[in-house]
Amino acid sequence: MGQIVYAAAMSHVLHPPYYEKNVGPHGRTMVEELMAVVHEMGRELAARQPDALVVVADDHLNVFSFDAVPAMCVRIGRSVQRMAQEGAIEFDRALDGLAERYPVHEALAGRILEDGLEAGFDFAASWSAPLDHAFLSPLTTLYGDRPMPPLVPFWVNCFVQPLPPARRCFAAGQHIARVIADGPWNVGIIATGGLSHFPELSLARVGTSDVEFDRRIVGWMERGDHTSLTALTTKELHETGSHELLNWMVLLGAVSPARARVRFFGEMGRIDLAAVEWPLG
Amino acid sequence: MSRYDVNVLLYRLKKDRAFRERFRSDPAAVLAGADLTDEERQAFVRWNPRRLNELGGSLHLVLSIPDLSEHP
Repeated sequence: MGQIVYAAAMSHVLHPPYYEKNVGPHGRTMVEELMAVVHEMGRELAARQPDALVVVADDHLNVFSFDAVPAMCVRIGRSVQRMAQEGAIEFDRALDGLAERYPVHEALAGRILEDGLEAGFDFAASWSAPLDHAFLSPLTTLYGDRPMPPLVPFWVNCFVQPLPPARRCFAAGQHIARVIADGPWNVGIIATGGLSHFPELSLARVGTSDVEFDRRIVGWMERGDHTSLTALTTKELHETGSHELLNWMVLLGAVSPARARVRFFGEMGRIDLAAVEWPLG
Repeated sequence: MSRYDVNVLLYRLKKDRAFRERFRSDPAAVLAGADLTDEERQAFVRWNPRRLNELGGSLHLVLSIPDLSEHP
């Protein structure tokens, strides 16, 4: 019988020059502090020796065009490539020196997809979607030079309306947990993104966040109040710039009823940064 | 408002360098056949990212088009 051996969620632009440029020295310092914490979390994750690592993140209109935007998508196949895009935004360009391909845990990805379809989750499948910073910035900070386990990349549509509701993302996470429990593998799961930034996805509001909202939802995670979290509406997530919390909702479904332990919480003004883990078993 | 058409154009500007270079040299000509309102067309031709965003253009697209976008 398989089990989840490690679960954590964290912000995913782990690139000090970006915050230095857009926020100033305190932005750089804060993200460097977060990265040190994430690196330490990676040592703990690696020590659990997972057979596979499920990574729940979102697409920033790098991968899926407006011609077809899956609500949720499982990456299948034997390997997944790093996104290569001419003129990419700076924190994606920063990935240029990384490995070009990463192994996919084909068997677990297939089970999540196929059992999901049987269970009523109409997941999309992709054989070709590449990984941008939302996956690789946290992964490389977690693992550094250590080899990564095979991945199961899982996308949630966080930005192109209509979005999957929080409760549906939570249910997808419960499904992933069932698949893991029924399988033979020890699995890590991480979710990335957030916290609050880009309220209403409005260019005029770039540079602001909703600290009160973030304190509230992190408190719910610490108390294991998943009822309040799954009751969050798409409108609330949009207004507070918490779109990427949908990735975290998948993880919450997978680990429920576990309570979160906050490893880092930083209020930067432009965004609130966080790293959170869920002690299991 | 043709939100789909605005975003398809933004996505192509992000991904297709040749299209982007033609747009930069003569935006009105490149957009001649596009299904846009006059307001949308003006926002593209004058390259007004804030207006494009207000008209339904994805924030993540208007922030990430090479040579045209700046993170504020």
